[in-house]
Amino acid sequence: MLEVKGLVAGYAGSEVLHGIDLEVNEGEGVIVLGPNGHGKSTLLRAVTGLLSPRAGQVLLDGKDITRWRPDAIAAAGLVHIPQGDLLFPEMTVTENLLMGAYHGPTWSERSARLGRVYELFPWLKERGGQLARTLSGGERRMLALGRGLMSKAKLLLIDEPSLGLAPLTTQQIYASIHKVKESGLSLLIADENANHVAGLADRVYLLETGSLVRQGPADELLRDKALLESYLG
Amino acid sequence: MSTQFVQAVWGGILFGSVYGLMALGLTLVWGAVRLLNLAHGAIFVVGSYVAFFVVSKLNLPILVALPIGVLAAAAFAYLMHLIFIRPVIGKPGFDNSTLIATVGISIAVSAAAILIFNPEYKVIPPIISGNFTLSDVQITKQGLLVIGTSLALFALVYLFLTYTRRGMAIRAVSQQQEAASLMAIPVVRTYGMVIAISGALAGLAGVLLSPFFFLNPNSGFNPMIQALIVTIFGGLGSVRGALVAGFVLGIFESFVEVYYGVAWAQPGVFLLIILMLIVRPNGLFGIGEVRRL
Amino acid sequence: MSAQAAGAVGVSRPQLDQAAAPWRRPSIWAIGGGLAAGIVLPLLLVRIDIGTYLITLLILFFVQAVVAQSWNLIMGYGGIYSFAQVALFAVGGWTSGVLVHSLGWNPFLAILISPLVAVVAALGIGLPTLRLRGVYVVLLTLAFHELARVFAVTGPRFISGGGYGLVTVQTFQFGDAIGDQRTIYLYYLAGLIFAIATFVIWRVIHSPLGVAMTALRDSETYAVSRGINQFRVRLVLFAISAFFTGLAGGYSTHYNGGISTTIFDFPRIIDLLAMIVIGGWGTFGGPILGAGIVIGLNQYLVALGDYQTLILGLALAGIAVFAPQGLWPLIRRLYENYLAPEPLAPAVEVSPAAPRDTTEEL
Repeated sequence: MLEVKGLVAGYAGSEVLHGIDLEVNEGEGVIVLGPNGHGKSTLLRAVTGLLSPRAGQVLLDGKDITRWRPDAIAAAGLVHIPQGDLLFPEMTVTENLLMGAYHGPTWSERSARLGRVYELFPWLKERGGQLARTLSGGERRMLALGRGLMSKAKLLLIDEPSLGLAPLTTQQIYASIHKVKESGLSLLIADENANHVAGLADRVYLLETGSLVRQGPADELLRDKALLESYLG
Repeated sequence: MSTQFVQAVWGGILFGSVYGLMALGLTLVWGAVRLLNLAHGAIFVVGSYVAFFVVSKLNLPILVALPIGVLAAAAFAYLMHLIFIRPVIGKPGFDNSTLIATVGISIAVSAAAILIFNPEYKVIPPIISGNFTLSDVQITKQGLLVIGTSLALFALVYLFLTYTRRGMAIRAVSQQQEAASLMAIPVVRTYGMVIAISGALAGLAGVLLSPFFFLNPNSGFNPMIQALIVTIFGGLGSVRGALVAGFVLGIFESFVEVYYGVAWAQPGVFLLIILMLIVRPNGLFGIGEVRRL
Repeated sequence: MSAQAAGAVGVSRPQLDQAAAPWRRPSIWAIGGGLAAGIVLPLLLVRIDIGTYLITLLILFFVQAVVAQSWNLIMGYGGIYSFAQVALFAVGGWTSGVLVHSLGWNPFLAILISPLVAVVAALGIGLPTLRLRGVYVVLLTLAFHELARVFAVTGPRFISGGGYGLVTVQTFQFGDAIGDQRTIYLYYLAGLIFAIATFVIWRVIHSPLGVAMTALRDSETYAVSRGINQFRVRLVLFAISAFFTGLAGGYSTHYNGGISTTIFDFPRIIDLLAMIVIGGWGTFGGPILGAGIVIGLNQYLVALGDYQTLILGLALAGIAVFAPQGLWPLIRRLYENYLAPEPLAPAVEVSPAAPRDTTEEL
């Protein structure tokens, strides 16, 4: 479904990704594992158009979306849940969720979608009228996930779901991502902890200093403790 | 009640609603686009002159001229967005470029107004004429209309921002632009929409206001400065702030004017805003973003 | 740019900078040549027919270039969006105008007071606003401009002159020099002010203070974290800028024999802004070049009347958006390509691939 070919990207003056090839198939859970600062976020940002790639191609269902604007890419079904959540701080929890369903065709189904998200995170319903900026770290993460799920996503890209969270909250978050995966949505998750993603992953890529150094089926790669240790430390 | 007092209150509410109306457009654009639109006064002038043209040259009634003037102002603002704002969105020099560009546009508009019409003062008829007296103070019906329109527009904009899809999108873009674009909200098009709405508000203010002040190529400048003060006083980007601050400053100015003379009105407002900045740098309802332009 | 500039604060002398930018260290010959030309020029010009007219244009250029440079110092380099420049010019103008007109001072003495009063006024605006940024400065300086205008028009009679400004202020007298001779003296005085202002501004830009302000402009967070006191830097710049603007204002009053309230008209601001923007925002030579261009063009465009303002406004907007660097970088490139004394040292390759350690910022 998603195909990335020879993607090169970076920020002013420095190249971060040196030619990434990656694909995600229908219904698949793909994990990009790598230590902090090796380009995981950059990869997701370049795929969803927040960062303009210098070279390479991003294809969605065979369509070239490389130079599309982020909003067009999101409308096409690649939904990115960014690092740091980036909620709308002065909007209520419900309003944040509704914005996830902004895209025209999705908007008309917003009530049904709201119901589904509430099922997954019942807590969001209770806090519907609270301003997003008053939430705690874990609550924010759930809201960010819920907001992403409001859209009609074909593929959800999640950047470090556990970043900055307490262990217990981390467990909750991964449990809900699990449910999302069971509903049949494809996932592309960037993470630095192999243990967290073990149950979610069908395939794994290892990212090191801007290049994908290994890839393979999850049960094979994630079991190789020695290999993981050498990459992730 | 003394005549002076009624005079001051009436003038204050009238000024306040007008300042609020101008400030509403400025604060919307600032909040969403982070654009300090120094061409806001020029857009006011565009709306007024188009309405003047429709009334005096096409001999149509002011009720026809009003919507035409408002639409022209919105169209002008949108055109300005297309040509001068959109190309620099997201570029590093956005603040500098747009600041100078809007100053350039405002000077160009007043020059164009002189060339197309002439520098002389023009009169736009009021939408409703007539007045009555209250404690020896003349209350014009047009004045009441201006106050009513301003309040109604504030309510309308508030409802739009709170309950509609596109209105909520404007708030989303102004609070977290990157996340908004990840939610499939077309950021640049939303900018264009906000600028056009703001232009319409400025145009409306122009057409409604010109019966009081006469119209000349620079008549947008003063309302714009007042609106800027109101915007900062109320808190940049805050709709509620624009409403409250509009009336507070309007009434303050009016009282100073009535009791101490016209010459003290502007210095008084100036002092008040400086005090305000020292006490509450973010304004009455500011969101706390003092650092950016 | 930011890293380089900020890094240079601690370093002794930026050597690489000189190789890349030879004009930053102009030779004695260039300065001496410029001064000599400036001194001889009027003596030659009076011998031709339109010479006197050209000299008055040069005087105008000197005055406007001082104001434009001062403005560029705070706006282009300092990132302070002040619109009080014309008002400060007026403060200078009125100060010495009133001193001469109402108190009977000698003009030469009075114009020394102008810059001081302008600095006091600038501190008055600067103290409450310069801690804040951008939009507040824009607003309060615009409001100050408006306030100054209203005061000049409606204030006490010794200031407003009944709404027209000061119309009969004593001009500079150089002994009993009259006609061309007097014009030449006026030229030298304006040239002296221009030379001093240019030199001081050049020094400021290339001093630690200048490096600090560029650092603040380019990366405020970084600069502040390196211990630069933003408020103090801004206040000092604002004061320097006001000083020369006020001086130019004082000169202008006794050159014209008065100062009119029309000085506050918006086109004046636009003219100055155009000089900076056309010449090159935030460059040393930009406003000087721009002043020359705008004054030159105005001589031709003045026949167009209001079309001139229309064109200028649109040009300003267009340049700001589509060529925000102005003309100065272009001139510099020409200089590098054709006039630079020797081939420049090969540019130090700072290739994007090289620094691995930068990834930690992600």
